[in-house]
Amino acid sequence: LINHMSEAVAAAQKSKKIAKAGPGRQVRLWVRAKFLSFRRSKVAQNTNQTILRLEGVNDRTAASYYFGKRVAYIYKTHSGKAENRFRTIWGRISRSHGNSGAVLARFATNLPARAIGSTLRVMLFPQRG
Amino acid sequence: PRFYPAEKINRKLHRNAKPKPAKTRASITPGTVLVLLSGRFRGKRVVYLRTLPSGLLLVTGPFKINGVPLRRVNQAYVIATKTKVELGEVNIPEALLKDDYFKKAKKERKQKTEGEFFQEKKEKKVLPENRKQDQKTVDAAVLAAVKNVPHLADYLHSKFSLRKGDYPHTMQF
Repeated sequence: LINHMSEAVAAAQKSKKIAKAGPGRQVRLWVRAKFLSFRRSKVAQNTNQTILRLEGVNDRTAASYYFGKRVAYIYKTHSGKAENRFRTIWGRISRSHGNSGAVLARFATNLPARAIGSTLRVMLFPQRG
Repeated sequence: PRFYPAEKINRKLHRNAKPKPAKTRASITPGTVLVLLSGRFRGKRVVYLRTLPSGLLLVTGPFKINGVPLRRVNQAYVIATKTKVELGEVNIPEALLKDDYFKKAKKERKQKTEGEFFQEKKEKKVLPENRKQDQKTVDAAVLAAVKNVPHLADYLHSKFSLRKGDYPHTMQF
């Protein structure tokens, strides 16, 4: 099951048909990030911008490493063929949020509210250094 | 306004700007071991050879070590490590230094007759002989350089992965 899921997720990553990579150890080339909330004030939220907390990132200078990096929200659906079962919404980290390492990200289409609290994947590309 | 022309003339938009090929990062020099971040070979460590005119990087596994052929790779999708292979003079065939070598051949689209339409022919992809030959030519020098360094072949064979406690912003590559 894990193999199938990873292959399907790999297919979702580039939204193209990808030949199966073949058996092999799966690698993680992304950083886990929690979708904390939409950017908001006390009584109103801006669903265009999401606040993410990246694992291991505790201050503003650390967060700056991730600016511009692409983020993926991956979700499962019931409908569609097996290749399309895992779908993804892509976005980018745009700026930091506060002093403790949270960042703001914007997505191609806004994330659904049910994604709040879920883990997003912050990819290591585009790599700058 | 006081005056409107009799016929509306659409002004042509100036959209002639073509993006220039990206400058190769200073950390990427011939022989640098790169980690591929995305695509079919994600996680693999490969050796950088040259930058092509389009700005893409020409890399090789070497093929015998990790199955990555001579390939183009975008430097934004690559981590440059400090590990370098002492390449010296690598014999890269002239044809390889052009992007056309790597571009996919355009399929001829024929008007299909009804009979053909329902028989979907899948053409087998045959690897051209020159590709195999060029791979051997280039890899000969790279493999020799890799074998001089203890454990470098094993290093190139292994894949890069983030593990528990690994945070890229704290890591030295």
